[in-house]
Amino acid sequence: MTPSTLLLEAQHVTQRFRLPNGQVLEALRDVSLSVREHEVVALVGPSGCGKSTLLRLFAGLARPGEGSVLYRGQRLDGVLAAAAMVFQSFALLPWLTVAENVAMGLEARGVDGAARRDAVARAINLVGLDGFEQAYPKELSGGMKQRVGFARALAVAPEILLMDEPFGALDPLTAENLRSQVVNLWRDPATGVNTLVIVTHSVEEAVFLAGRIVVFGSNPGHVREELENPLPYPRQERSPEFDEMVDRLHAILTATLLPEPAPAAPQRLVPFPRVHVSEVTGLLDHLLTRPDGKGPVFELAEDLGVDYDRMSAVVRGAEQLGWVTTPGEVVQLTTAGREVMAIDDAARKDVTRARLAKQPLFARLVAMLKEGEGQVEDEEVLADLTIYFPFIPAESLFGTVVEWGRYAELLDHDADAGRLTLLGWEGAAEARVE
Amino acid sequence: MIPLRFPPALTPPGFRRLGLADAAILCLLGGLIATVVAFAREFEAPLLQAVQIDLRPTALPRYTLYSLSRGVLALTISYVFALGFGWAAATFRAAERLLLPLLDILQSIPVLGFLPGLVLGLMSLFPTRNVGLELAAILMIFTAQAWNLALSFYNSLKGLPAPLRDACRVAGWRASRTFWQLEVPGAAQGLVWNGMLSMAGGWFFLMVNEAFRLGNRDYRLPGIGSYMSVALDQGDVRAMGLAILAMIAMIVCLDQLLWRPLVVWVEKFRLEESGDGSPLPSSWVLDFLRRARLPRSAALWQRRVFLRARRAARPLERPFRVVGPVVLRAPRRAFEHPIARKIGAGLAAVPIAAVAALGAWRLWLLIGQLGWAEWGDLLASAGLTFSRVMGAVLLSTAWALPAGVVIGRSPRLARALQPVIQVVASFPAPMLFPLVILLFERIGVGLGLGAVALMVLAGQWYILFNVISAVAAIPQQLKDATAAFRLRRLARWRILYLPAAFPALVTGWVTAAGGAWNGSIVAEYIEAGGRLRTTRGLGSLISEATAHANFPLLAGGIALMSLIVVGWNRVVWRSMMEWARTRFGLVQ
Repeated sequence: MTPSTLLLEAQHVTQRFRLPNGQVLEALRDVSLSVREHEVVALVGPSGCGKSTLLRLFAGLARPGEGSVLYRGQRLDGVLAAAAMVFQSFALLPWLTVAENVAMGLEARGVDGAARRDAVARAINLVGLDGFEQAYPKELSGGMKQRVGFARALAVAPEILLMDEPFGALDPLTAENLRSQVVNLWRDPATGVNTLVIVTHSVEEAVFLAGRIVVFGSNPGHVREELENPLPYPRQERSPEFDEMVDRLHAILTATLLPEPAPAAPQRLVPFPRVHVSEVTGLLDHLLTRPDGKGPVFELAEDLGVDYDRMSAVVRGAEQLGWVTTPGEVVQLTTAGREVMAIDDAARKDVTRARLAKQPLFARLVAMLKEGEGQVEDEEVLADLTIYFPFIPAESLFGTVVEWGRYAELLDHDADAGRLTLLGWEGAAEARVE
Repeated sequence: MIPLRFPPALTPPGFRRLGLADAAILCLLGGLIATVVAFAREFEAPLLQAVQIDLRPTALPRYTLYSLSRGVLALTISYVFALGFGWAAATFRAAERLLLPLLDILQSIPVLGFLPGLVLGLMSLFPTRNVGLELAAILMIFTAQAWNLALSFYNSLKGLPAPLRDACRVAGWRASRTFWQLEVPGAAQGLVWNGMLSMAGGWFFLMVNEAFRLGNRDYRLPGIGSYMSVALDQGDVRAMGLAILAMIAMIVCLDQLLWRPLVVWVEKFRLEESGDGSPLPSSWVLDFLRRARLPRSAALWQRRVFLRARRAARPLERPFRVVGPVVLRAPRRAFEHPIARKIGAGLAAVPIAAVAALGAWRLWLLIGQLGWAEWGDLLASAGLTFSRVMGAVLLSTAWALPAGVVIGRSPRLARALQPVIQVVASFPAPMLFPLVILLFERIGVGLGLGAVALMVLAGQWYILFNVISAVAAIPQQLKDATAAFRLRRLARWRILYLPAAFPALVTGWVTAAGGAWNGSIVAEYIEAGGRLRTTRGLGSLISEATAHANFPLLAGGIALMSLIVVGWNRVVWRSMMEWARTRFGLVQ
């Protein structure tokens, strides 16, 4: 392959957002990434890793807080005219017809009259929507709507096509069909599109489409690893080379999602993953049905019908409670895990309570509660969480803590008064009478 | 490849099949032009402070059209204001911080207090013509219409899905195009529904706006409100009945000819795809118009002219396109620079602060003329009116809450009653006040208590509307669940309907109390059958101060009422709303 021109370049980009509650979230920290001509780049990673933020920066829809974004060596100033974008939610204007939606970007590019009509007709023809020109989006199925989304992007003959989980809202059959069409569109010189950047949640999708796959880590978002994918187009799913590539990506992602615990500093405050009690028990239940009580995390995700991002959060939760271990990308049920599934519900609550009391975050909370005579205001806990975990929305972490605390009968929450109570604390009963 | 027809919706119409609908449209156009001409002549009429009102029935249509024209003009101004105000507040953070609290306060202060100032000011601008008086009346109607429109537009803009905005920016749309093709259509539903409410709100003070006394002078504009007040002065029962009939006819016509078609038409601009399966509203007028040929050819013609004009303007545009960005680069950079922005914001804040300080100073001078005795009187009256307002809210709730639940529970009943309630609710309650008071006098109830009933008339509909829509929105599954567990009627109300209606009920209370405060100004000070009746209260104090041109007392009364309303909203209603939403909100 000959080295080709640099098209897009992010240099040491850091991007922060202020949440409505005043908390500042770092979506990206010191991210550098370049996209070359004729490339297909896939951005993958857990949710909240800033991959969509980076895409919006490339599109010129947002300005980087720190660092810079360049197009052909020039710093981006406003929306990038050489790019078009496809959205997960389609983002079609419901009061415009298909043809009018497709024509959205043409006027600003000075395409008028007959040329505009031709461009619209060609784009509609490319995605196979002929005959639907006068339909309104609400009359179309999800797959058809996304075809309109693609037609709208293709109508302006963009050099770069930016896609934000374009198949995320579609059913698997429709997604598969559209995916191969995207490859065809990219390979077809008539469309003018020569570079694709796609944000995706699906490992198979990334391997199917991309020549280079960029894996992001979260909290804060950063580039973990880049993986070249030399498979020739058109790619055959289920071929051995394809599967090998998928496995390699799985391994990288697992290392990102389930990092080996740092050996030092055992008392370091670790956030409890935002997962429900029923999800963890569901995982244990499923592992019990497997030979030796183990399985690779991606297989588990597929079996249970959740995405790998969610699955790995559940695994991390079970791991913190000591019920599974994660050697490599395999999840292994522990003896403690087997025991906890064998006992009845009341006993399971007792065991969970004992386990939670050892988890650093819960241990700290219990200490706080004891200090406050068995009670503490929500605000105080939220402030504490914000200080310790600035990259995690405090309200949602708080909800998880309350759910687990209630399940294990460790603590109770009074939503009306806005305070937490430690259960089994001698002062608690009196305090509640007040 | 076959070129696509574009734009497709506008196929050239044939000129042969002009139908009944086209004839109707032509007649309507003619009527509109005649009304505009007549109204313009009225505008230009030499200033006569008290026009002779002709009580013959034949004069009534003309008066109705005058009042209607004022309302429509005011609504047009309100829309323009709402678009600008809402857009500014939604677009600029600094503007948002200033404008939202301002809106909050403007919404809750009794606008009638500004009438004397407006009239005197505008009359000194146009000393010899009617224009000043007319403008004052229109602006007064505007102040009753504009705020909720602005708030609705702001909320719609804030609620637009971010990807749609991104899509427009990626397409390279300019701000103006995004405004007309994304922001306004996305807000169209709220704008039309709130326009309906605003129009009804605008009629509320119709009688006062068109006929009032300032000091020893009578001001009167020809219109249905002044017709009614003259009829009341002369005790002409037949004319009163006719005025009420004309008012109802006007409201029904507006509903059928303007609002219904608009409501159906803006269904097109719904953002979320309707999945609730409820039948779409229909409008015979819109169906009729859609069959007509003239609007289509007019649209086509307009489009053609527009395109031709643009093409002609293109050579002129080019220099701007080239020069514009170059010239604008420096200001744009400056605008984006954080320090420059801060300086700019500071520069903008200075005149605003200066104006605010000046206003406060003037108000202070005015109020400073009041003595201790007057303040005591003001406070005691405020206490009286406050208890009347709360009584009115309680009474309204007592009937409107059960009625709202019953109506909202049954979709059929709600659909059947909705247009009736809408018309009844749009009727300006103050027009009925004198009649109700005469009736009360017969049965021996004084104005002290009667005013409470009048304030109920002014506020009850808000509660009814809110409860109906909240109950109608209860998910069917919850209703099924209460039925499946065989809850008795009382338990169903206690467990399901009342909690589900509660957040909407609180919203209804806020508006109803606002309406009652506003209503107190006309309810505690009433001229009926040629006799003046007053009862002690803040409302009557304000009305009296207006009638005697006692400006310090007027300013004090208005300031006190605004303070009470805003304070009560901030402290009591707001915390109640917060609690209702977290505790009883159906959306979790």
